Amino acid sequence: MTVLASPPDALTVNAPKPTRSLARRRLGRTLIFVAMAIMAVIMLYPFAVMILISFKTNAQYLIGSSGTSTQTWQQINATLPIWQELWNSTVVCSLSILLILVIGVMAGFSFAKLQFRGGNVVFLAIVSAMMVPLQAILIPEFVNIAKTGLTNNYLGAVVVYAALGTPFSIFLFTTYFRRIPDELIEAGIVDGLGYWGVLWRLAMPMALPAIATVTVLQFIQIWDDLLVGLLFLQNPGERTITVGLAALAAGHTTSIPLLMAGSLVSAAPAMIVYLVFQRFLVRGLTMGIDR
Amino acid sequence: MSLTASLSASTSARRTPRASLLSKRRRRVGVMLILPALALVGLLIAYPIGQAVYYSFTNWDGLTTQWVGPSAWVQAFHNPTMWTALKNNGELLLSVPFALGIPLLVAVMLHQRVAGWKIFRSIYFLPTAISWVVIGLVAEHFFAYSGTMNSLLSDIGFSGIHTNMLGQENQALIALGVTFVFSMIGTNTMLFLTGLATLDPSLEEAARIDGAGAWRIFRHITLPHLSRFIQLAFVMTVISAFSALFSLIFVMTGGGPGYSTTTMEFLVYQTGFNQSMFGTAALYGIILFVITALVGIIQLRLIGAKDS
Amino acid sequence: MAEIVFDQVAKVYPGGNTAVENLSLHVADGEFMVLVGPSGCGKTTALRMIAGLEEITDGTISIGGQVVNNVLPKDRDIAMVFQNYALYPQMTVGQNMGFALKIRNVPKDEIKRRVSEAAKILRLTEYLDRRPKALSGGQRQRVAMGRAIVREPQAFLMDEPLSNLDAQLRVEMRSEISRIQRLLGVATIYVTHDQTEAMTMGDRVAVMRGGVLQQVATPEDLYDHPANAFVAGFIGSPPMNLLNATLVESEGTLRARFGDQSVEVPARYRQTHRLDENLTRPLLLGVRPEDLVVANADAPGRFSATVALREALGSEILAHLNFGGEDVIVTDEAQASAPASHSTRVVARLGARAKVTVGERIDLTLNPENLHFFDAQSGETLRVSR
Repeated sequence: MTVLASPPDALTVNAPKPTRSLARRRLGRTLIFVAMAIMAVIMLYPFAVMILISFKTNAQYLIGSSGTSTQTWQQINATLPIWQELWNSTVVCSLSILLILVIGVMAGFSFAKLQFRGGNVVFLAIVSAMMVPLQAILIPEFVNIAKTGLTNNYLGAVVVYAALGTPFSIFLFTTYFRRIPDELIEAGIVDGLGYWGVLWRLAMPMALPAIATVTVLQFIQIWDDLLVGLLFLQNPGERTITVGLAALAAGHTTSIPLLMAGSLVSAAPAMIVYLVFQRFLVRGLTMGIDR
Repeated sequence: MSLTASLSASTSARRTPRASLLSKRRRRVGVMLILPALALVGLLIAYPIGQAVYYSFTNWDGLTTQWVGPSAWVQAFHNPTMWTALKNNGELLLSVPFALGIPLLVAVMLHQRVAGWKIFRSIYFLPTAISWVVIGLVAEHFFAYSGTMNSLLSDIGFSGIHTNMLGQENQALIALGVTFVFSMIGTNTMLFLTGLATLDPSLEEAARIDGAGAWRIFRHITLPHLSRFIQLAFVMTVISAFSALFSLIFVMTGGGPGYSTTTMEFLVYQTGFNQSMFGTAALYGIILFVITALVGIIQLRLIGAKDS
Repeated sequence: MAEIVFDQVAKVYPGGNTAVENLSLHVADGEFMVLVGPSGCGKTTALRMIAGLEEITDGTISIGGQVVNNVLPKDRDIAMVFQNYALYPQMTVGQNMGFALKIRNVPKDEIKRRVSEAAKILRLTEYLDRRPKALSGGQRQRVAMGRAIVREPQAFLMDEPLSNLDAQLRVEMRSEISRIQRLLGVATIYVTHDQTEAMTMGDRVAVMRGGVLQQVATPEDLYDHPANAFVAGFIGSPPMNLLNATLVESEGTLRARFGDQSVEVPARYRQTHRLDENLTRPLLLGVRPEDLVVANADAPGRFSATVALREALGSEILAHLNFGGEDVIVTDEAQASAPASHSTRVVARLGARAKVTVGERIDLTLNPENLHFFDAQSGETLRVSR
């Protein structure tokens, strides 16, 4: 015998039935989860491939066997000048990023807070340089740098990387610095700082998230770059890891497992940097977009 | 007020200099701070563009320069290879809708904040950290004759299809396009996700109370808000299609088979450094620049038109 | 000597906008001077010119006897408290307060001494190691003051420091700031748009409007003898009632006519104010709300009005009253904030126990001791200056 807990009335009769839509929503969310999981598998595919294949010998790979071995990894040092190339990549990245940050912070602060005549025009000019594809200026660039004898030197590549990365960093820093209230700068002035002091002692410490964002993005860009390295660091002793890998691939006698191992080595640092700094990346990008 | 008139006459004798000390210093520091940036960008980006224009009119092979004039350009436009390259770029542009649509879907999915979405977000962006070179190598393996794609297809049941896409003239470009879309998913998803995060949730809630279903909300609220981000993603993707593809091509196909995967950005490299025809290479570079500049300007116009 | 002198100072922006016009003002050493006025009146601009954050277009400003037009802010020996506090987010409270001294290479123990002393005065000692974002609004405001105190400057400049605080905190901080200023004896220029702050805190108050100084006087003087209708309506809350009136003489007595009412004006006003030459000309009769009293049946100078609105505040009752006649409302649109002058409406401040109901018609008298007369066109007081 059923007992009604409360008599049905006008309010409850037409109310949405909670259980049904809740189930539907659960289904929807499960579907989404499944879709995202499939997507994740697709995205992780390159890593799976690299790991799987690098743990085979060339022989195993060619046959298609499912055996694994660490032989390739043990041999990698002998076939690829890994450490040298990693070192080169690190040096080039660090120097370029340092240059980009210093120049970017200085210019960003100036454009954002130190208005002067013609400043806006210069800002637009520099930012529009973001749209120049490397290939358009490649030839003259190469010639210029070759003439100054810097092609077999870190400096040539560093300077080119810096020039390519500066416009974007200036864009980001300018947007970021604009958010600093003018009052804060005035307080610094009244307290006794000059504008130079305000920049380095007040504004720059406040810009750490933007600095982190630029660092991560530029690191990935420069570490993974092929074309500039190919042309401006032709001396094998100065090759970056990415160029080294491409050179390896171009030589068609190279074993695939070796290539995969080399790929992993080349990809690892950038991945680590990204994973460590991802918080800043999201924050920094959000700020750059809604000004 | 008659008072001011008589007073200004007497105070003009006591005019103090216009600019205060502080504002003079401000201007001086302001200019000094941008000089390094100006020098860097001017010397290494603006100046070479001018040089490239000059070189494009010459017959320079690295040793001797010979002014050829406009006929260099006429020759270039009669060169079938260049047109093939342009055609390839154009065909690759067909992948742009995918490079935008898929990330959009993924971003919307992530935005639903289903359990574990943060981990998924990290995973999706991870390929962006890898070099195009590496992706190209993996893709080469995927598309090869004995590669994964074929084994997948035979697993599903299409064992009849067994190709080496990268070796077929009319298929290599498709393989390239697919790889390109894969590479752009990470960045564009991040971009759209950022855009979605700036969307005011109360708008969505109001619509839901009004009875709008998920699709309607998406079309009338989400999409319009994202339009700015979609435009930005569009510009960035197209520019990548015209410049970043270089690494993929270099590693996967070397421009071949034949010229079927040679795009403008690869052509510049090939003409200049493989064939030592620097003048012509510079010319191609200029064409590339004009195309990307046009895309950027058109986008700016569109954005400007919408905002006004 | 740390006196501050404005000598015919003007500030004109490149677009032609005049923010401050011909300002001459003298602030004595140790004096608490308040600059008050509606937004856009130029008070903040004037303050910033003292600090050196705005260029001086014309005239000179002197601090401690020295003309500072071309002196950098940091060399003017002034300290400033900003409206939004402008605390350095990356530094602790202690570091914020000591920063200016650190820049000038003041020895560390001296910095420590000054900071802890200031912290004691402001009751911030336990917060010295906190970052600004971990502080409440009131605490941040005190840190901003601490930063200024530590400098031991010739003058304090304060730009609406209390406007971001809630009402209760504001009342508290008002007395705090007054106390500290008296304790330290440093000349202070305080900018606000709140006339209550001006009246309670200032030794003298300078009222500004549209870039022009209206009147500078002690709070009492400002209240009792406003120089023009704007000051009269700005100082005091609820504002002074300004009635469009005309003076007529009938049978030897002077009467002021407003709306459909008419009230006798005591004869002595003819000596203290220029009334005779203004007979039959339109003028403004000013009566403060507390000077409107419920009348006895036979009180002289009484008039009647209907209660339109009744606001019971607990401590008093504000009655808004209407009377008949053509309602001529004059508003100065160019610089709204002085209340409009009406012909047929007044606000009266009555005792808490006053029995008035809406719609009731009651009789009121004007307190004959406290009438104000202003020229209707220029707004200038008709009072004969002593």
